[in-house]
Amino acid sequence: MRSISLFLRSVTKSLILFTTLTFTGVYVSHAQSAAEGATLFKQKCTSCHALDKKVVGPALKGVSDRHKEDWLVKWINNAPSMIASGDKEAVAIANEYKPMVMTAFPELTPDNVKGILAYIKAEETKPAAAPVAGPVSGDGSQSASNGEVSNFELGGVIAIAVIALLVIFVLNRVIKSLERVALQKQGVVLEEEVASGPAFRKLLKNKKFIFFIVLVLVIFLGSAGWKGMWETGVHQGYQPVQPIKFSHQLHAGINKIDCQYCHTGAYKSKNASIPSLNVCMNCHNYVQATEKYNGEISPEIQKIYKALDYNPDTKVYGPNKKPVEWIRIHNLQDFAYFNHSQHVKVAGIQCQKCHGPIQTMSEVYQYSPLTMKWCINCHKETEVNHKGNAYYDRLIAAHSKLKKGEKPTAAVMGGLECGKCHY
Amino acid sequence: MESNKKYWKGLEELQKTPDFVEKNKGEFAEPLPIEEVLNEAGLSTITPRRDFLKAMGFGLGAVTLAACQTAPVHKSIPYLIKPEEVVPGIPNYYTSTYNGHSVLVKTREGRPIKIEGNPNCLLSKGRLDANGQASVLDLYDVSKLKNPVLNNNERASWAEVDQFVVTELNKLVGKKIRIVSSTLNSPSGKAVVADFITKYPNTKHIQVDAVSYSGIIKANEVSFGKAVLPHYAIDKADVIVSFGADFLGTWISPVEFNRQYVSNRNGASLAKKKMSRHIQFETGMSLTGSNADARILIKPSEQGIALLSLYSALGGTVSAPQKLTNNPKAAAAISIAAKELAGAKGRALVVCGSNDTSTQVVVNAINSLLGSYGTTIDLDNPSFQHAGSDADFVDFMNEAKRGEVGAVIFLNSNPGYDYVNPKEFTEAINKIPLKISFADRKDETASLCQVIAPNHHYLESWNDSNPFEGYYTIGQPTINPIYNTRSAEQGLLIWAGNPVKDYYQYIQNNWAKTVLAASGKTWKELLQTGSVYLGAKPSATSAFAGDVNAASQAILTNSSNLAKGASKDTVELQVYQNVSIGDGKAANNPWLQELPDPVSKVTWDNYIAISPKYAEKLGYAEYDLVKVTKDDYSVILPLLFQPGQAQGTISIAVGYGRTHAGKAAKEVGKNAYPFLSFINGTLQTTSRVTLSSTGELPYELARTQTHHTIEGRNIIRETTLKQYLQDPTSGTGKHFQNKVGLWKEYEHPGHKWVMAIDLNACTGCGACVVACNVENNIPVVGRDEVRRRREMHWIRVDRYYSFEEKGNSVTEENEINHMEDADNVSVVYQPMLCQHCDHAPCETVCPVLATVHSSEGLSHMAYNRCIGTRYCANNCPYKVRRFNWFNYWNDSRFENYMNNEFTQLVLNPDVTTRSRGVMEKCSMCIQRIQAGKLTAKLDKRKVVDGEIQVACQQTCPTNAIIFGDLNDPTSQVAKALSSERTYYVLEEINTQPGIGYQTKVRNTAEA
Repeated sequence: MRSISLFLRSVTKSLILFTTLTFTGVYVSHAQSAAEGATLFKQKCTSCHALDKKVVGPALKGVSDRHKEDWLVKWINNAPSMIASGDKEAVAIANEYKPMVMTAFPELTPDNVKGILAYIKAEETKPAAAPVAGPVSGDGSQSASNGEVSNFELGGVIAIAVIALLVIFVLNRVIKSLERVALQKQGVVLEEEVASGPAFRKLLKNKKFIFFIVLVLVIFLGSAGWKGMWETGVHQGYQPVQPIKFSHQLHAGINKIDCQYCHTGAYKSKNASIPSLNVCMNCHNYVQATEKYNGEISPEIQKIYKALDYNPDTKVYGPNKKPVEWIRIHNLQDFAYFNHSQHVKVAGIQCQKCHGPIQTMSEVYQYSPLTMKWCINCHKETEVNHKGNAYYDRLIAAHSKLKKGEKPTAAVMGGLECGKCHY
Repeated sequence: MESNKKYWKGLEELQKTPDFVEKNKGEFAEPLPIEEVLNEAGLSTITPRRDFLKAMGFGLGAVTLAACQTAPVHKSIPYLIKPEEVVPGIPNYYTSTYNGHSVLVKTREGRPIKIEGNPNCLLSKGRLDANGQASVLDLYDVSKLKNPVLNNNERASWAEVDQFVVTELNKLVGKKIRIVSSTLNSPSGKAVVADFITKYPNTKHIQVDAVSYSGIIKANEVSFGKAVLPHYAIDKADVIVSFGADFLGTWISPVEFNRQYVSNRNGASLAKKKMSRHIQFETGMSLTGSNADARILIKPSEQGIALLSLYSALGGTVSAPQKLTNNPKAAAAISIAAKELAGAKGRALVVCGSNDTSTQVVVNAINSLLGSYGTTIDLDNPSFQHAGSDADFVDFMNEAKRGEVGAVIFLNSNPGYDYVNPKEFTEAINKIPLKISFADRKDETASLCQVIAPNHHYLESWNDSNPFEGYYTIGQPTINPIYNTRSAEQGLLIWAGNPVKDYYQYIQNNWAKTVLAASGKTWKELLQTGSVYLGAKPSATSAFAGDVNAASQAILTNSSNLAKGASKDTVELQVYQNVSIGDGKAANNPWLQELPDPVSKVTWDNYIAISPKYAEKLGYAEYDLVKVTKDDYSVILPLLFQPGQAQGTISIAVGYGRTHAGKAAKEVGKNAYPFLSFINGTLQTTSRVTLSSTGELPYELARTQTHHTIEGRNIIRETTLKQYLQDPTSGTGKHFQNKVGLWKEYEHPGHKWVMAIDLNACTGCGACVVACNVENNIPVVGRDEVRRRREMHWIRVDRYYSFEEKGNSVTEENEINHMEDADNVSVVYQPMLCQHCDHAPCETVCPVLATVHSSEGLSHMAYNRCIGTRYCANNCPYKVRRFNWFNYWNDSRFENYMNNEFTQLVLNPDVTTRSRGVMEKCSMCIQRIQAGKLTAKLDKRKVVDGEIQVACQQTCPTNAIIFGDLNDPTSQVAKALSSERTYYVLEEINTQPGIGYQTKVRNTAEA
């Protein structure tokens, strides 16, 4: 089912993309550089700048009108050196925003900068479109995920339809024979009804055919039942609606924030841990996405502020804090012990191995089945990352199976023993 | 050479009583009630087929509907602002102070879940006793007050309380104020009291202990002019003679004494061919007595005389020399003890558990003769662990009765329960207009008070302590107060109008002036180490200046009073503290209630210990309910036949019969404090009582001693020091080289986790049992279930009796019928837990492979795979598997800490709680092994020996349990197992256990 919904989603996405592209292609001339500029803008600029609001640095709306393009390229490439060189405009800005100094971005080529400026300009020209576009795309993906039907529901509907048809058919037959009996009692001798489809009748009386049909039904229902039972308690694809619409696609995908910046526990503890809100605030006390919301702070970011009772003007936390109640997606059973640091730090496994393409998920869903079979399979296949780890030296040296040439998988090293996970 | 000495756990096993034989037939004492089900309410009643089908149909439908809900929604709530030092999933450790011992508190996500000794602590050296281990549960106790109480208003606010108290205190003009506390050795606490006295000059601070040591303190004042409780150094004594002092169990500082005592008896000491000698003269079988090399029975009335005769035998002059004429055995033992003590002058120690000043003066005289002062006894660096004065409290009672006292404040003191005459106490304090208690619950005393200002638990408050001269420890809070409580010292500061309102600030100020200045360290440095030692004072010479003749007179009078009118029904009673409950302060702790008494193995009750022969003479059978009367106080308690109890005496433990302590302590035993006697200014633990039959049905004590017996197989190995010195392998029995086995050999390429247990170091104190309970979320099952042999402890300390051998001869089994031999029994303690056999019989029989062997030598147990056939328990020759008969974590019928939302907080999140119908057993603290391995892997290094400590090993005060990796030849455990004394239990059946024991060595002197 996950695959179907994924397929549906990708279809919708490509459709949306296609329409947007054709749309924009019609009347935006420098689409290419502006699109590139949009990405760069999000990556490099948004941590200090908004389009229409002074954050850490000035609002960027109309920046091309205020400064010449050449000057801007130089400035963005290396602002500190320009201030040091005593450029008048540069010094004026530096004085205004003391003690903050514009970071140098020597890696940006003049074309890159022009792209960013083009993006800013484009954004200026469509002030009303932006705020509408944001939420619509967000809602779109959400409704797609909500409209998704589970295996159980789909099977149920089909089963009900089949049963209903059968019941109608049987009832019809019963009514007909009852009528016939009633008529016979009245003395009316009916002529044998002319069979509407003699071939069909024959088929029904054909024992081989009936056997075949029953066999097919048994196999079909049996395998469906077996599969349903087997997957009881498996919540692959589970995607609850979270209290804050946090997008991993934006944070991990576009902004490329390292996983462990927020999930600090993954490298040292059994819990990867959901970041506390003060970690969010490291960025979000100035990243407020105001450019998307007509200068208002993004409603999702406002939820953080509300939970912390944070006042963006005075920049202090108030006393009425209220924790955010996230919905847990990966519910490993209590009797199974799992430790993130063992897998992430010791074994060096990528987060994506279990959590899937997290950097593309605007809303997180459970990617892996989290069944014991799934754990065991991986333990059987994955080689232990023992190189350069003195802990494993004796084990590797003394292991007779390795001497026989087996690969040092987790299973060979004892990773399938009950007590490794169950205690 | 193998001894066929007979070891037995209880008299019923020895005598093969029909009940014992019946119950011992199977692994489980009670058969399943299949018959009942079939014959009674089960199938024979009219259960119409339709009803059955209806129920079936409903059940099927309900299950189907219930299954439609996909999954419960779990919330995940992170911190809003995460404290920097907290990483969810990783424990934090903080130093704090329990009872003068510096401890480390393990907290997970901000809640304390385990207490461990602080390796820096001079008293405990990182170890802790059962009480300390269990103390973490008291933090979450639901019987505690949730708010201050003012005139029966249980929801009073602190402001109301403060206003009321201050107004009332200021109203008292010319009347006395008394602060009654148990021993207060906190320097800052004392300073707070002193400040309070400055503000209210009519105040006096009275210290009183439930079990008092004021006899020793007074005797030292008389003998040396120093009114102190000395600091004993048992490790410096080669010969220890104790007269009723249970120094391994309860006397003064047991954790410290256990370590000191065993340091002269453990493997390291034996390797140097050295072992101390310990002779115990006592009435009832105490933990200390059961560990002694020689144990001689004396009546309480003979104790003083025995000491006097020892004094004479050592050359002390006394006007009327005494002899134990009625007890020739003891008299002979006295002369042997005298000879040995005289031969070890300067390395000898005599201690006595009596609280009688005169008796202690004689002890001082003996120690003075032996040159113990300055060597094994330190008077100049005294212990401050007990400072109560019985006489002061009696003075207070008289003042109160005369109506002179205007206000009384009780601090960590409960005389309403533990005073010798509770009725007199109630009358006396009812004459006091203002009564305030700092009790954390509405206890016996607090329920008589208008104001109860509940004190913090020690894990909720700042504190400090000064357990002996020069040694200071800091108590640090590790959690925000669970209930609306306040530190008692803070209350006193507020009531005294002190400018420093915050007790934390007050302690820091106080330390800055004193300890920090003297040690040159900062507060933060000390907070990290938890304690500081400022060094010992130089000891001055102490010349004995007591009057032995006067003491002798007092002793004789006292003794003849005790022995007076020896008729059939009057007996001498010895009141004692047992190891688990102690003085009764922690009586509401279910872990301690279910910890079997080390000697009698009784849980959840106190009882009358009596010699079987003497009981026979009086015409009583075991478990008969007997009435004990002293003056106008009487209690009815069951009789317990205790081998090694002196004839003509009985013993009863204090600490039971709490009426206002909480759910767990309710209806557990009877109060024995009123049997104390106030003689010559001190409360003494002996008295003369009358026994009378009640004719009631016998009472079944919940006693674990004969549960899980090993069918008379010889699993104890012991030897004597003499034999050991000739042949270190003596007594270890035959070593079996059985090559034929049913099992395949396992390869242990990485680790091979094993354990070594030194029977000579184990004193049987039971700290390991409680530590294991705390670490592994082991349920408490309560008295009834223990009676059904369903206790859940993963580690038990088996206590085996055997008859004293004469010379080298072996005691014949048929000699057992003679009851008089039950006086002279010797005791061996053997901690028994899952042996993690390489050839595990339990693993072979599991039909679902729920218990399997690991490549690291552990026998794993997968609970969620277990279907509860119990085959494994049946097939385990060591009887260490436990079956969950109920959902203990969710069943309100049990006195369990797991079934309410407060005490549940103590559960260890790294260990699953087990469900009904599941077998469990010792996992060798696999969660700790896995955590230790992971730390090593993260650091990319090998596991360091000693880095992973299992819970029982960690807390063992004597280091009797050593755990480690056998594949590491340099590990402690590999060295310990290579000792000549090592043997494996039941190695003849080729189970190849992972736990090796070292033989018990007795220093029996064939003088």
